[in-house]
Amino acid sequence: MSFLIQLSEKVNPFQSLIILAAVFFVLSFFVLSRSRAVKNFLVALVSVSLIVAFYLNIYCYISMGSFSSFLIFMGDLQVIEIGIVIFSALNLLYFIYIYHADNENFSKILIIFLFSIISAIFLILSKNFLLIFTSISVFILAIFQLVSVMNSGIDKISLNILEYFLRPVLTIVLFFLGFSLLYGVIDFKDFNQILQSEYITNPLIVLALVIFGAALYMYFFLFPFQGPYLRLIKRGSLSTGSLIWFLYFPVGFFTLMKPGELYIFFIEKDNLFLSIFLIAITYLCILAGSIGAFKTNNLRRIMSFMFLFFVGIYLLNISMYSTGIIDISSMVLFSFVNIFIMLLSFMSMSAIFFNVEKNTGIGSIDSIRGLGRNNRYMGINLVVIFLSWLGPLYYIEPFIKYIVKSGFPGMGVDNIILLIAMVAGCVFLLVNILRILISVFKKAEPGTYKKILFSWSLYAYVTFFSLVIIISLAMGLLGILNVDIAFLDFNISGT
Amino acid sequence: MSFSMIIYFNLLILLIGIFGMIYSRDIISAIVSLQLVVISGLMNFLVFSHFLYRYSLWDRMFIIPGVTVIYLVMFCLIYYLYLNKDKLDRQELYRDFRLFKITKSDWWGEDII
Repeated sequence: MSFLIQLSEKVNPFQSLIILAAVFFVLSFFVLSRSRAVKNFLVALVSVSLIVAFYLNIYCYISMGSFSSFLIFMGDLQVIEIGIVIFSALNLLYFIYIYHADNENFSKILIIFLFSIISAIFLILSKNFLLIFTSISVFILAIFQLVSVMNSGIDKISLNILEYFLRPVLTIVLFFLGFSLLYGVIDFKDFNQILQSEYITNPLIVLALVIFGAALYMYFFLFPFQGPYLRLIKRGSLSTGSLIWFLYFPVGFFTLMKPGELYIFFIEKDNLFLSIFLIAITYLCILAGSIGAFKTNNLRRIMSFMFLFFVGIYLLNISMYSTGIIDISSMVLFSFVNIFIMLLSFMSMSAIFFNVEKNTGIGSIDSIRGLGRNNRYMGINLVVIFLSWLGPLYYIEPFIKYIVKSGFPGMGVDNIILLIAMVAGCVFLLVNILRILISVFKKAEPGTYKKILFSWSLYAYVTFFSLVIIISLAMGLLGILNVDIAFLDFNISGT
Repeated sequence: MSFSMIIYFNLLILLIGIFGMIYSRDIISAIVSLQLVVISGLMNFLVFSHFLYRYSLWDRMFIIPGVTVIYLVMFCLIYYLYLNKDKLDRQELYRDFRLFKITKSDWWGEDII
């Protein structure tokens, strides 16, 4: 037993990675297998490894505390981020199994999938520039391979895959350029060294941060560069959208947090240009995302636009910090709440909508017409899922507090502009929710409705998410009302 | 060559790369433009190492795995391009490809294939 504890201490904080790497090694022996039984066994093995990795990630951190070395750093945020990635991976595994179990490349998909999770965890843990750069490059490479294998049977998709992945490649190249500029200031090895040095305001560092910002802008396909992202999700296989939403984007958010403290330094210096830029991007994402979703009838495009809308809400949070409405702890809390809302709602919603598309063969919003009447359980679940989209309403509280403190005229032009953005965002969000719900509960035209089959696993999956949303909502309401929950010290306002 | 001369030359390569990315109308030109940006980053590392740090180890530690990974990703993209597309499709791709193409359907309405 003591040997095991010693071993565990030695490999800290790589336990979760070791488990996944071991399963990756085992999977490589089954790469040519096409037997259904073997596929089921592999899925079970990967699921168990992900659950064990999730447990070890938390357990080891609690028992051994934070860890820092030349290459990596593991603290509170890293544990949460790894937890989110592994949780997303479990859900993605479900999607991959549903849509690719009959694929002859299924074992290869699982291997590349596991590899992408390992590289994502490396990226989250990495502290050193070299490790950050290589892990993000390998992660993008793994996602590219995964998307190309998943879409191998789809005609005329390769152009869309190529035009999509040229952007992440541009991200990698810009990262390389940015790191080369940082090297020109002084022999820096990680972002923390820059933060503690006297060279932080050096123009080369500012230029490198601008280049990193541009690289991440490309990575997220923010407006007006959203075209390849929308096209790939619409034309690719059903699981491609899930992969991009639940793995590619969250890892991008966590990469954004790496140089985050440097950006915060410049935000705190009341950098007007940075605030204006953030506010402009927030507006663009919120307005273009919600209007784009409203003007299209394709369900996948609606979801893609809405995802960009939520990226806009994520940026609204940073903009609010830049204008002084919220403090840094609230910003970090809101960022994670946003990611949580996005993942929870999109996982369950895409499970339902993708199943409808698979059954009917139609990707239009008309395919869900009458769904809520013919399958009331799924209809109610959809209502619950959309309730989680009302989460951005929690931004109202900081605004109210700010207005009470300084009065409406004393708010400043920037804060009033942000308040308008938030109100407009909430209105557009409600319009989009109502549009989908009206379609779901509308009476189907006679003879047009085709019975949609939902498997028991899908019922269980959607029910799980609905319960999580209801519990989160109840906790949030209790937090707002300042009701002590006794067993959990939780306050949604983060104050 | 002096330090400032190399930096100016490097900036020129970077600008050509960025211009190429925006202006190029086929995928190979876009990839070549990306390579120019990589070369610019590479030159930064080498120049700073030579003039500022008298050949430190860190630049080589970064350059070797960094450039290997970048070229691995680019190689995969090009390999995928040649693996999947027949001659006719490739011609179409070379004729009408823009890295930053913005169309109306990206903002409004349906995406017509």
